[in-house]
Amino acid sequence: MSLSELAADAVPADVEPTGRQIQGRSPFRLALSRLLHDKMAVISVIVLFLIVLFAVLAPLFASITHHPYGAQYPDTARDSWGLPKGPSGDFWLGADPLGRDVLVRAAYGARISLGVGIAATILSTILGVIIGVLAGFVGGLVDTVLARFMDVVLSFPYLLVAIVIATTFKPHSTWLSVLITIGVIAFFSFAAMARIVRGQVISLKEKEFIEAARSLGASRMRIMFVDIVPNLVAPVTVLGSLLVPTAIVFEATLSFLGVGIQPPMPSWGSMLNDADYRSSLWLLFVPGGLLLLTTLAFNLLGDGIRDAFDPRSERLITRK
Amino acid sequence: MTRRKTGLKAAAAVGTLAVGLAACGGGGSGGSPDSGTPKKGGTLKVAGSSLPDHIDPASAYSSINQGFSRNWALTLFTNTASNTFSQTIPLVPDAAGDVPTTDNGGISKDGKTYTIKLRDGLKWNTQPARPVTAADFVRGLKRTCNPASPAGAPYYNDLIVGMDAFCKGYAKVNAKSASAMAAFQNGHDIAGYTAKDDKTLVVKLKQPAGDFLNIIAMSFASAAPKEYDNYIPDSKEFRQHTVSDGPYQMTSYDEKKFILDRNPNWDAASDKVRKAYVDRIEIDLGQDSPDQVQQQLEQGTADLAWDQPVPTTSIPRLVQAKDDRFAARDNPGVNPYIVFNMLSPNNKGALGKKQVRQAIEWAIDKSAIAKNYGGEHVAQPVGSTIAPGNVGYDANFKPYGTPGDSGDPAKCKTLLAQAGYPNGLTLKFPYRTNSNHAKNAQSIQANLQACGITAQLTPDTNGNFYGTTLVTPSDAKAGKWDIAAPGWGPDWFGNNGRSGLQPLFDGRLYGANSPDYGGYNDPATNALIDKANKTTTPEQAQQAWAAVDKQVMDDAAIVPLITQKFTMYQSKHVHGAKFLPAFQTYDYSMLWLS
Repeated sequence: MSLSELAADAVPADVEPTGRQIQGRSPFRLALSRLLHDKMAVISVIVLFLIVLFAVLAPLFASITHHPYGAQYPDTARDSWGLPKGPSGDFWLGADPLGRDVLVRAAYGARISLGVGIAATILSTILGVIIGVLAGFVGGLVDTVLARFMDVVLSFPYLLVAIVIATTFKPHSTWLSVLITIGVIAFFSFAAMARIVRGQVISLKEKEFIEAARSLGASRMRIMFVDIVPNLVAPVTVLGSLLVPTAIVFEATLSFLGVGIQPPMPSWGSMLNDADYRSSLWLLFVPGGLLLLTTLAFNLLGDGIRDAFDPRSERLITRK
Repeated sequence: MTRRKTGLKAAAAVGTLAVGLAACGGGGSGGSPDSGTPKKGGTLKVAGSSLPDHIDPASAYSSINQGFSRNWALTLFTNTASNTFSQTIPLVPDAAGDVPTTDNGGISKDGKTYTIKLRDGLKWNTQPARPVTAADFVRGLKRTCNPASPAGAPYYNDLIVGMDAFCKGYAKVNAKSASAMAAFQNGHDIAGYTAKDDKTLVVKLKQPAGDFLNIIAMSFASAAPKEYDNYIPDSKEFRQHTVSDGPYQMTSYDEKKFILDRNPNWDAASDKVRKAYVDRIEIDLGQDSPDQVQQQLEQGTADLAWDQPVPTTSIPRLVQAKDDRFAARDNPGVNPYIVFNMLSPNNKGALGKKQVRQAIEWAIDKSAIAKNYGGEHVAQPVGSTIAPGNVGYDANFKPYGTPGDSGDPAKCKTLLAQAGYPNGLTLKFPYRTNSNHAKNAQSIQANLQACGITAQLTPDTNGNFYGTTLVTPSDAKAGKWDIAAPGWGPDWFGNNGRSGLQPLFDGRLYGANSPDYGGYNDPATNALIDKANKTTTPEQAQQAWAAVDKQVMDDAAIVPLITQKFTMYQSKHVHGAKFLPAFQTYDYSMLWLS
């Protein structure tokens, strides 16, 4: 039998015995397909889509109800005790203690929560990756200094320091307070990211393909950006998706304590702070429920993403 | 001219409420608070948050401290405790035999000399019992200038002949030496405040003053026994060795608790304003949460709150349940109000212009501010700088009035454009984070926004707000703030322009720590204040202070917002509780326990 016959007899690698064509799939496509089969993750994506829609449509709610988010209706939305009135035809989700529309404020609050959560996550991810890669790849003194710095940041009583920073700057404009809040959250979140990235880089650095690249004469920069960074995408995506809900809760905490987003801009945290739960439960349930739903959805989605990239890892909520 | 310390502090704690226990309705009944026959005995338990800043009557200036000292340091005159506000305004004799008038010869024809006779039956709780003399009252007034812990009130120096010189000399004495202070006090006299004999005081004034009896009725001017010469005023040693000429004496004092017991030397028959039914009064401190205090009162484990009103969130429940142990007592003052920093260079000095301030007067929804405090049951909008129940109040004077006191931002915008600011203003607005002030700030911010004015809110603590932000002239001139919403309460009710209006609007007094926070200084207003201070009859005073009010409102020096009632709650054991508005407390010497 000639070699050419052998080749003709062999079943091609990308065709199953049944004859169905198998397409080569990248790790991302594999992960995506796993993700799409994860019911929880899909539901979370739908929930998050709805919340994003809620946030995007905030001005629409304001124009339908004719209640801008900062406008107060002390005569119609508060009773003679000054207490806010509950859900009604005019105020669908009730009014807050100053007589503002809770629905409209919750929608604008969603913009702040999502915006601050995602912006802070992106910022801390960028910071974390840069610092983690530098520390892990360069090693030596740079690593020692950066790793200790991460330890210091991680060991801060972050809430206290965040409050001090936020109160020291005393932002008198709403947008400045948004920027400061994003900065504060990013500062306290990047270290977790940097630490994991550093660990990954240190382990990747010893892998054979890096040795191969080095032996082929690749420069350090090339190794860092072409060989190492692409391999970080999976862990960074997973951790990033889990950082978003943490950042959202962090923002809500700061705003609840009055040092985050400054009035009159609504945020779910400051709406919770305004609430007097004994007389008006809707003030607790609307922002609290949205906050719960958003963070739960982000967490479950993050879990799904982790499963998709690394099916062997443990889940936040185990399912059969 | 006290800031309403107790109210502010209490409200501060209310503001920090988190998800707490739902306040449960108190059970049990002790009958109606005003029913039954008074009986003697029992211990009145008072639950308080913090130690008063002063105990010594020579320096105690917050309302609760002055009300407290009324039980053991008698003044010459006092007000009757009553739940009907108008009955609390007239002065009645306490240590004095009667109220001096020109008719009974107690006040000279020129209104400058007062002769005050002490009544019989006044004794110190010393062993043996020693009578209280006119010299003790002179010692009491001298002590207000002591360098260790002086009184904060300016009235005595302004009015009494020789007081200024005496105080200037006293200020130079070593404040750490009780003996040096005693030596100065006993070696120098106040020319215009002397003891003619054991029972007669003679007071000479620089100018007539129709409100002088109110001023001398303040606890600063209570009698001081010679034993006080042994201690540094208001020191811990002093507080542990107070001497009493009232129905009660302080038998125990520490930083967590103080106790008043009966004064065995007190002569019940000669005291016309106190009954002293209760045997003992215990004041327990360190209970910072108004909700906790309220729970104790409703359960009957404590009887009265010391320095906090009823939590705002409990008020609707108590009223709707028709709980007759809850009461909102009249306590009229303009609190809070908006003050303009007229010295601010921001917006090209816009706030220095009368037309700009007048425009802003129209913008504010005062009824919304009242709602922040619990609505009409607890707070009412006010139209001018004088609240009802104070001299000069004119019910028909409502400048810048709008229907329902809801404000008219459109008018504000038009007037602002006419004043040369069609594009609005940007104002720096520091606000206190305690009590309802954050809500107020947001209400005001929204009103101003509707008028085209951007208010930049800056959070501030209550202490820093009054201690630094508003009272530092260099900061005001540098434009570090533009508007703010402080509060002010008069020292007494009735003829009180000197204590209610002058501190806020007399520009000649502007400086560090001046309550004329915005640097308002108008010669016409100053002249009207001088004229009003010299009036001697209630009618003259009414007209003169009303004129000051009109001038100030025309200048739009402040935007008066609301007047608040003081909310009180008593346990089921307490009966016959009567209110002292100037001290924001019930009179402990008139109530009885079941």
